[in-house]
Amino acid sequence: MSTKIKEAVRALLTEGKIKGFLGLREEKGNIMPYLFCDPKELDALSLGDWKKPGDTRYPLNQLMIKLAMAYPNETFAVLIRGCDERGLKELFKWKQLDEEKIVLIGLGCPDELAKACECEKPFPDSLIDGPKGEKVDSQKVAQVEGMDLDTRLQFWKAEFNRCIKCFGCRNICPMCFCNECSIEEDQLVGTGEIPPANPTFHLARAIHMVGRCIDCGLCEEACPADIPLRTLYKKVGEIIHQEFGYKTGLSVDEKSPFNIIEVK
Amino acid sequence: MAGLAAVFGSGAMTNSIEEIENADCILIIGSNTSVAHPLIATRVFRAKAKGAKVIVADPRRIPIILQSDLHLQQNLGTDVALINGLMHIILKKGWQDQTFIDERTENFEELKKVVEHYSPEKVSEITGISVEDLEKAAEYYAKAERATILYTMGITQHTTGVDNVKSLAHLAMLTGNLGKESTGINPLRGQNNVQGACDMGGLPNVYTGYQAVVDQAVKQKFEEAWGATLSDKIGLTATEMFPAVLNGKMKALVILGENPVVSDADCLHVEKALKALDFLLVIDIFKTPTAEMAHVVLPGAAFAEKEGTFSNTERRVQLLRKAAEPPGEAKPDWQIIQELSSRFGYPMDYASPRAIMEEIAKLTPSYGGITYDRLQGDGLQWPCPNTEHPGTKFLHQGRFTRGKGLFSAIEYKPAAEMADEEYPFQLTTGRVHVHYHTGTMTRNSPSLEREISECFLEMHPEDASELKVGEGDWVMIASRRGSVSSRVKLTDVAGRKTVFMPFHFLESRANILTNPTFDPVAKIPEFKVCAVKIEKMDRSDKSISSPP
Repeated sequence: MSTKIKEAVRALLTEGKIKGFLGLREEKGNIMPYLFCDPKELDALSLGDWKKPGDTRYPLNQLMIKLAMAYPNETFAVLIRGCDERGLKELFKWKQLDEEKIVLIGLGCPDELAKACECEKPFPDSLIDGPKGEKVDSQKVAQVEGMDLDTRLQFWKAEFNRCIKCFGCRNICPMCFCNECSIEEDQLVGTGEIPPANPTFHLARAIHMVGRCIDCGLCEEACPADIPLRTLYKKVGEIIHQEFGYKTGLSVDEKSPFNIIEVK
Repeated sequence: MAGLAAVFGSGAMTNSIEEIENADCILIIGSNTSVAHPLIATRVFRAKAKGAKVIVADPRRIPIILQSDLHLQQNLGTDVALINGLMHIILKKGWQDQTFIDERTENFEELKKVVEHYSPEKVSEITGISVEDLEKAAEYYAKAERATILYTMGITQHTTGVDNVKSLAHLAMLTGNLGKESTGINPLRGQNNVQGACDMGGLPNVYTGYQAVVDQAVKQKFEEAWGATLSDKIGLTATEMFPAVLNGKMKALVILGENPVVSDADCLHVEKALKALDFLLVIDIFKTPTAEMAHVVLPGAAFAEKEGTFSNTERRVQLLRKAAEPPGEAKPDWQIIQELSSRFGYPMDYASPRAIMEEIAKLTPSYGGITYDRLQGDGLQWPCPNTEHPGTKFLHQGRFTRGKGLFSAIEYKPAAEMADEEYPFQLTTGRVHVHYHTGTMTRNSPSLEREISECFLEMHPEDASELKVGEGDWVMIASRRGSVSSRVKLTDVAGRKTVFMPFHFLESRANILTNPTFDPVAKIPEFKVCAVKIEKMDRSDKSISSPP
């Protein structure tokens, strides 16, 4: 457990700067999200099994959106890593969360995890504890791109063939906040079949990740069929960077090329 | 259960779920794994990615065949012939594990004699599988360093269910695939706690931990613990109860979390029996069609509204914690049972599920070391005889529960009801990926119901064209027991003259059609094969299709 994080949160709570802190708590061998509202509870605070890959994480940003909707006038703090911070920046831009009402409690990821994630920036700007690790280039995208077009199509189709249409990738995604979802449109993806329309189902979702996916990898961790979704969405991010010079989640000020129409 | 108990002395998944991903060969038989057990399918996918050979034996081209190296599409109800055929090839080629057979089994000669008659040509004739594929399957399975078998209701729900299971157990023993990691014979349980219900004596012949009711020492132990006189007679199975009601031998019934009006074979017969009862009490979380027939319904608490344990398919006991209070008057089942018992004159006064667990540990050798305090995190796998014991990952290491593994001679017998001139189609039943059992829970979920909201009959396009039936047309399906209507879905998932229907839908109850004839030992009905006839119907006729 990090003393720095605990003390930072304790100060915020004691000084009344936040209503609560959305983090993790360990109880009887299980780690789960928890909203800490009383400094006395902070001894149960946990960072989860955060040092290595394959840990079980939670979409805290997604919970944050629900919390903000229920208590629109309150300010909350939230535990974040580099990827979560990228997510928050996009969620601010997309007006899903109010930047003024969120305090970021940042945790840097160890090298082992950054390597497994092939993370662009494995630490948040609002770093309170943990290392300020190096950027890791993606080998996995390069590997798939090394295949010729036909082999690549066969590769993805074989991966998508394992899909059981559980919607786990979408349900856990902190960036999927639409009220209506394209992959639930039966004209696009027929109902009642598994695997679902291949490759339409997964490509439709990939296209909707454009300018949104912040490469947190929760989808791939949640996928019961081990489909390398992260590799697919990393490529989507790469295309946006090449074509529009835009990197998702890098700054709050720069608008996404897919979000240039102001909604008043 | 009964089949494995006869061969090994205990009936449960021999190995653990995570071990599947390190197997070198996986034989999936009678299990629609990716549809019915998706998280176990994950382990199959991982094994496949590491180079394992995956063999799927199923009369239908189910989704997991996309991940297989070989699909054996056997005719319905021919599993014993198929497995005998595989064993024949293995013995002929000398691929058996003779050391294992000599050291750990008995009665091998008897098996050998029977299997001799199952030449690949004969088996091919019975099962419809090519000789080449039979040989390939035998080679993949027998030559693998670690081979494992996964099966479910496609094996057990037959009049030869016990024979099917025993045959699979023989195949594993023949090749020494037992008592070590990533091998074994693994029945995948269809419900999160059906293993636990059996472990707790939810069967007519045993107390907790499979202690026989006919065993006098066991009887005495429970009499002392409970301060009551107990019967040493074996009771009735669920399938025997309904005939007993109609014979006037049974007058009252308590049904807890079951919906036999939809889930039991020949369910019109079940309805008749329920109507004949003097008193029916149903305890459930929703008002099911079975609850509609009850004299009294008591609302139970749902999984997230109570505390206790679930014992899953790999014998793992896991702690359940309450997330929400039960609504209205709903109560956890243990409280309902306790109050009923007290009012019947046997006062029960357990303070909590923890107190009940303490008694379970005291009276059940295999659960002896399982306590709430030890059930943090991942839980414990039984047998766990004492509080220092870490639990058991896989069974039968070094020794079977009964000592030596018992081979026996098993001949192929066809299903009880085969297609004939009057009923020319063979019907098999099963599940779809979005619904669970009778739909009591899943059909109340808008997102699942959106995916599949009505029943369908899968039919081969060539059969359909003979009947002049198109996609989505309504047909009437009739067996010797009753008839139902359904829309048709054209597909070559199964072969000609074999049709499939999911059994989740009250409006088109597949179990009106199914055959209640049951396995003589396990008393499990033949849900998986019956003979039906099919007629095209005018859509406006729909109202006449379902008998009341």
